[in-house]
Amino acid sequence: MKYRLIIYRYKEGWDKPRYDTFIVEADPDESVLDVIERISLTQDKTLVFEHACHHGACGACGMVINGVERLACITRIGDVAVGNTVVVEPLRGFRVISDLAVDKSRMFKHFEKVNPATLEKLDEPPVELPEYVVIPREKLFDCIECGICYSACPIANTLEEYMGPSALAIAYKTALETGDLKRILLADSKNGVWSCHAAFECSVRCPVNFEPGEKIMKLRRMFLKSSLKLLLGGSR
Amino acid sequence: MKPLEKFRSWLKVKGRSLDHFSFLVRRLAGIVLALYLFIHMVDISTILLGEEAYNSLLNIFASEIGLIFDIFMWAMLVFHGSLGVYSIVTESGMLLEKRRYLLYIAWIGAIILIVFGSWVIINVLEV
Repeated sequence: MKYRLIIYRYKEGWDKPRYDTFIVEADPDESVLDVIERISLTQDKTLVFEHACHHGACGACGMVINGVERLACITRIGDVAVGNTVVVEPLRGFRVISDLAVDKSRMFKHFEKVNPATLEKLDEPPVELPEYVVIPREKLFDCIECGICYSACPIANTLEEYMGPSALAIAYKTALETGDLKRILLADSKNGVWSCHAAFECSVRCPVNFEPGEKIMKLRRMFLKSSLKLLLGGSR
Repeated sequence: MKPLEKFRSWLKVKGRSLDHFSFLVRRLAGIVLALYLFIHMVDISTILLGEEAYNSLLNIFASEIGLIFDIFMWAMLVFHGSLGVYSIVTESGMLLEKRRYLLYIAWIGAIILIVFGSWVIINVLEV
């Protein structure tokens, strides 16, 4: 079947982005990522996009596909095409580096603020990593760090300093597993849980069902209880 | 992101879930109600200009356009209230597992109240 892919294009130095159209022969069961890779191999080698695992575990290929945030590797093109057309754009709320690749440092910088208690220690890396890689051998257990929740969240799209759904959900996990709210006090702030307006789009779009929206609300409840305790003369 | 783009990101509904759409309706209804409060203050202030000025303004609200305006304002009030109650419950961290059902109840309740309220406005309050 022939599909028409309209892909967002932007390179450093351009005044404004543009959209390029590619016609591709593909099976409806093929993933959007597979089709994008084929375009990159056969039609335009300058097309930039991120990918790694191809099975929804690494979170690298988060994109906006026909207006909805999805992992391209686990999204079948036949399921999302509208009249055989698929519009592919980079995630919202992040700086676009090139085409579909975005800079997620805005999200990662908040992770260290919430002292994740759910870090999985990885093996020694096979290559020596540069010094600027701060946490080279750790990754989160539950959240795949794809950034889809930031892209879907109306607040993260509006408020640059908002800690964001995934970081706050991780803060909740930290509080739950350590019982220590002091580790995540930064989340109890204007840029933390109190900026969330409960649109819950993060939970709807999360590809691993991490439910960031629900976790933020539970964390709020924890902070409220703790504040009440403080008011009554107790400690956090 | 430019301010206009930020605003548009809130208004975007294409590809968004009922949850996000409800968030948008609740917010916009709140803004409309705040604006209405201002209009209402101007409206009742006309009494200071005399009975005739006040009555002529009332006549506008009693017209067909006024009736449509009343129904629209009632709908805004109901949406803001109904989705607001849903918001209070979920934002307090309660019944999060039943969140979707609560949202459906909020919408169904709102639609029933709007239909009933519109009937009252058209058939009972209309003189």
